[in-house]
Amino acid sequence: MKTIAVYSNKGGVGKTATAVNLSYLSSLTGAKTLICDLDPQSSTTFYFRVKPKLKSSSKGFLKGGQKVHKSIKGTDYENLDLLPADFSHRRLDIEFNRSKPTDNRLAKFLNSFKDEYDVLFLDCPASISTLAENVLRTADYTLIPLIPTTLSLRTYLQLMTFCKKKKISRNRIYTFFSMVDRRKKLHHVLMSKVSAKINGVLNCDIPYLSLIEQMGIYREPVAAYSPASVASKAYQRLWRQLCKKM
Amino acid sequence: MSNKIKFNLAQDDIESQIHSQLATRFQLKKDMPETRRLCYYDTFDWRLFNQSILLFSLNDSMGLRNIGAEQILYGLKSNQAPQFIWDFPKGELEHYLKPIIKMRRLIKLVDLTSHTVPYRVLNADEKTVTWVSFETIRSRSRKSQFTIGTQIWITPIKGYDKHAAKIKKQIQRLGFMPSTDEDAYFQALYEAGLEPGDYSAKLNLNLAPEMRADDATRTIFRILLKVIKANEPQIKHDIDTEILHDYRVAIRRTRSALGWDKKIFNRSLIARFQKDLAFVGKLSNQLRDLDVYLLNQEKYKAMLPPVLQDDLTPLFEYLAKQRAAAFRKVVSAIQSQKYKKIMQSWAAFLNETQNEDSQGPAASHPILRLASKRINNQYRDIVKSGRRILEDSEDEKLHKLRIKCKKLRYLIQFFANLYPPDKINTLVKQLKKLQDMLGNFNDLCVQVDYLLGVSKKMPVNLSQSNQTLVAMGSLIGKLETERQATKNSFAVTFDRFASLPNQMLFQDLFVQYPKKVAS
Repeated sequence: MKTIAVYSNKGGVGKTATAVNLSYLSSLTGAKTLICDLDPQSSTTFYFRVKPKLKSSSKGFLKGGQKVHKSIKGTDYENLDLLPADFSHRRLDIEFNRSKPTDNRLAKFLNSFKDEYDVLFLDCPASISTLAENVLRTADYTLIPLIPTTLSLRTYLQLMTFCKKKKISRNRIYTFFSMVDRRKKLHHVLMSKVSAKINGVLNCDIPYLSLIEQMGIYREPVAAYSPASVASKAYQRLWRQLCKKM
Repeated sequence: MSNKIKFNLAQDDIESQIHSQLATRFQLKKDMPETRRLCYYDTFDWRLFNQSILLFSLNDSMGLRNIGAEQILYGLKSNQAPQFIWDFPKGELEHYLKPIIKMRRLIKLVDLTSHTVPYRVLNADEKTVTWVSFETIRSRSRKSQFTIGTQIWITPIKGYDKHAAKIKKQIQRLGFMPSTDEDAYFQALYEAGLEPGDYSAKLNLNLAPEMRADDATRTIFRILLKVIKANEPQIKHDIDTEILHDYRVAIRRTRSALGWDKKIFNRSLIARFQKDLAFVGKLSNQLRDLDVYLLNQEKYKAMLPPVLQDDLTPLFEYLAKQRAAAFRKVVSAIQSQKYKKIMQSWAAFLNETQNEDSQGPAASHPILRLASKRINNQYRDIVKSGRRILEDSEDEKLHKLRIKCKKLRYLIQFFANLYPPDKINTLVKQLKKLQDMLGNFNDLCVQVDYLLGVSKKMPVNLSQSNQTLVAMGSLIGKLETERQATKNSFAVTFDRFASLPNQMLFQDLFVQYPKKVAS
């Protein structure tokens, strides 16, 4: 089983749209795919029209086991299941803080899905928290959407410094440009600068398109309701690039 | 999506009635209807059916599932259905099927159309909570496109099982019961006039110990003739090598059964049929030999160093041409008047009932007594001959011993059901080991001689003829080494076969047991 975390320490960068679309594209290949919504805002859960409710508390959630597996919901798509978010996820950090760093609870939690799924996506909340640290350490691959703006770049660099300080390997952290507006000169300048200076930037950007925003209305992956659109093709390119890296 | 629930509908016009009933209680949304081509496959001798598995193609994908179950065990994408195991891409499906179908061709049994109209059952959030699909399977035959079956599928979605249960209940209220064991496969085969498992080259005899010897032997002949008749018309279609093989084995068994006891039938009658069936058997000797060489192509290549392997290709191209000519000869031979006359007269003899002219002095003897005596004598003869070989292992003697063992094997196969099965199985295992050794030795002798003969006959103008001759020389060398090694293993294999416990087992089964039954 491959685990792919979609993470950013900045909000509103397109994490959920990325996780939802990539997990859908993964399921189309025939791979049994699970997407775990770890964000108490439960946007992924909303996109799949599922009620954000788990059969366990945040403490029980991290223990894994039967209750968590029973909370999994099939989506409208073959091979794609969802572990919905719950409002109690706001306490996930506290639970991580309680355990010893050597416990590696997230790895144990993810391990319990390995017999049933080929690919597991983690949609993470935006913060540099203990949860984030665990995710960065444990996931096979971490995908960071980056808006080509000064503030977004600044938070990205903060994250890299954090990884360095915590001795988290950056080899499997990939980034890509998200919400790119080709009409903006600043976006062009920053993208070329970042691509030249930072390692692990995937040569594939997701444009800023209203069709992606409309996911909230359709409550479906854009790759499902408009498979031939520019937006869908951009996610397909991103998925192909990631597959090559995997 | 798992644990699908199926309802078989008697008529397709009920579909709209069920749909409108469901629509009153659930929010249904029609999805894209799908028409797919559905085909089922099996070998001529039903190897997949005998394992209770089913291979099907659905448009451009193939799948393997248990008969009566829905879960696909293995699948693959393939625009054209593979016919032989070597046509399959390497993978789980190929790995699973290889030991089952071996060298047999997969034949398309039926060609159908599956038309599915799926409906999503939605909840208040318009989330799909269950799938309900109406599937109609029709024959694609040009003559008649009749309906094979209409069924409703309820596909529960993980986490929403209650919704599926409600739909199921609603359909049950309309008077339908979920179908658990019925498989559209059987209906489709029935409509196509096929009966799964109706052919087997195996001898499944059920003789009674006190049966008259001529009646019992005729029963064996009739079963063998059935195998001959099933394969004979297929030879010209060249489906696979095993059609001819099964046909030849049945002829050989018949010849062996003819001579198993010379006192059951009229001697001159036996002599005539022996001669006729020997003629029939010989017609396809060359074709079968060539089939075996071509089947072993990869094995032979693997025996050579990689640098020489491709140099054998011209040899197999030459053999393939020879095979094509031999095949044409066999096809015309089995259509000849002489062949037809022989087979007609054989069938006429089998249809006779206790005709005094064809009876021999032992015709009315009980079968168990005669069979036991004959098997015991044959075993003792083999043990005696084998001991002589231990002193002087001439190739010719080994060859004769192989024939004797084959005769014993056939005798045991004919009369196995007269004896306790566990003891018979132990004996057959022991005999099989000796037969395998002798069979390998004989094959290697024949192969070495054949390759030496072919090297003289192959056209000299082949561009790679020199390299090919080098490769063939190397192959002959390898085969010769193996031949010697096999010959050297005779003593050990034979000692096990002729061991005291084995002799006692033969004594127990074929001397003591018949006495016990008679008393």
